[in-house]
Amino acid sequence: MTQLIRESGNAEQKVVDNRKVFAVEIGLRLIRAAAVAFWVTVIAFLMMRLAPGDPARNSLGIEATQQEVEILQKQLGLDRPLLEQFVNFFSGLLRGDFGTSLTYNREVSDIIFTALPTSLWLVLLNSIIVWVIVIPLALFVATSKSVIVAYVFRSSTAISIALPNFFVALLLILVFSIKYNWAPLLGYTPDFPGNLRYLWLPAVVMAISGSIAIMSRILASSISDTLREEYVETGIFRGISRPRFLFYYLLKPSLAPTVALAAYGLGTAIGTTAIIESIFAIPGIGTELLTAVFSRDYPTVQALAFIFGLMVVFISFVGDLLAYWLDRRVKL
Amino acid sequence: MTLFKKFRRWVDEPGNSLVLSGSIMFVTVVLMGILVPLFYRFGPYDFVGDPLQPPSLTYLFGTDQLGRDIFSRTFHAVYRDLGVAFIGVSIPFLMGTLIGIILGTSTNKWVTNLIGSLIDGINAFPLLIIAVASIAFLGPGLSSVIIILTLVNWARYAKIARTKAVVVSKANYIEAAYTLGYPKRRIFRKHIGPNVSSETIAFALGDFVLVVLLVAGLSFLGLASTPPTAEWGAMINEGRSYLISSKWVSTFPGVALCWSAISVSLVVDGLNRREGKIQ
Repeated sequence: MTQLIRESGNAEQKVVDNRKVFAVEIGLRLIRAAAVAFWVTVIAFLMMRLAPGDPARNSLGIEATQQEVEILQKQLGLDRPLLEQFVNFFSGLLRGDFGTSLTYNREVSDIIFTALPTSLWLVLLNSIIVWVIVIPLALFVATSKSVIVAYVFRSSTAISIALPNFFVALLLILVFSIKYNWAPLLGYTPDFPGNLRYLWLPAVVMAISGSIAIMSRILASSISDTLREEYVETGIFRGISRPRFLFYYLLKPSLAPTVALAAYGLGTAIGTTAIIESIFAIPGIGTELLTAVFSRDYPTVQALAFIFGLMVVFISFVGDLLAYWLDRRVKL
Repeated sequence: MTLFKKFRRWVDEPGNSLVLSGSIMFVTVVLMGILVPLFYRFGPYDFVGDPLQPPSLTYLFGTDQLGRDIFSRTFHAVYRDLGVAFIGVSIPFLMGTLIGIILGTSTNKWVTNLIGSLIDGINAFPLLIIAVASIAFLGPGLSSVIIILTLVNWARYAKIARTKAVVVSKANYIEAAYTLGYPKRRIFRKHIGPNVSSETIAFALGDFVLVVLLVAGLSFLGLASTPPTAEWGAMINEGRSYLISSKWVSTFPGVALCWSAISVSLVVDGLNRREGKIQ
């Protein structure tokens, strides 16, 4: 009894400085995200040093004259000391100046602004498909007592994770684009309802080869953890209606531990857009990255890699915050 | 007979049937990868017949656009695909586990936090993206893939090893070992090391699946192995232009790739279930 009183006393105290705690927690997460973003910048900058020999010479090829190489060195800022180069790179990024593309002769930020929305549409559509399937699937698997359901679920997700997305893409193109003509083989329109016609098949490919399997596994195991909690039993005793039971007693508390991992999954999904976009010839940021890689357009490669890294940092920051908001017990 | 019964009992334990079927699938593909280069009559780069012949008794998987035998090429690719993935997993595994243990047991807060955020920074890049971007600077090739995996992938292992090492080093049995007066080296080698690496080995097996897919994916894009090399991703890409008329050119290497990746994935799942990590 005394213990109970002491515990409730603690709870009251917690309520009092809740806002302060909340601010501190957010601040800590922000500092950590900023530190990670700093390293992302350093890695993107150092990437150019990976090249054996001179990057300018590599970019131009063997036939270029010494003079051309020197001009490019100056353009890339390679003639200055390393630290100064980094400071320039860093301050450029802060100002939103990502450098100039070598092949297109246009600002890299311009490339990003035209290509990024397309990729985000693809990732968004993929996420919608994934969650629409994952939530009922995970609820069904976690609440089912059948051994066969568990077995089929585990093996099929194990297989799905191992499917190479580019091969799945080719097979689905063969079926849906060539045989049934349900999806266009090439091309893209950037405006909203029209672009779904081009994006649905790539989004489905991404969902089949990995995302659904990973997400449903995470959510299903989180739900079966929740099922062991005592309040779930209480809910069953009180005779709560089934939909209410599924959503308020099972799904909602199970989402908090999932969110951080879901953010990780989203990051992986962003990574796979590169290969998927190139197969479906969708003019997203992944296609731009590959084009830049093939034409040895170093500033564009650097900037796009940085953007990818930054997006993942941002997503996991938001995921962290969301997880904390859903369940205050979550620690850093 | 008793041996058979023992075996039956072993298979009936949860997870073991998956481990067994996955291992059989994996051993099959590895065996084919050894036997076909040794004994099969066609080499991977020989022009053996007319281009784009459908599968038949002479050409088991058909021929490709240049008249090379796809059966031979598919199984010549085994050691390249799985070998690169094996190297690309083992080096980061060793590096990452070691770094993680050092970070997890170190008492210097500043250094561990700094390297900790560096690890997060590396992990922020999706593996495919940083591989593609780095190849722009390193040049295409399987060796570039290994270099990139060495530079980048250790961070994932270090993250896991660090978390585990923090937990392990605070465990009672480590304290007991210190109290008993065991030397530090012994505690690291015999107590902390095995406990941490059991966690990273589990991750390494799952990572192997992803790295096999990464190597093939990069080759598919023309960034790792390039034609005419016999490699699954590159072969699938070569067959893309003949997808409608001659499906077998892409399909057989694709199936071999799926087969290998799925086999390891099933083993991972079976092992997890044995450990009781999942129901």
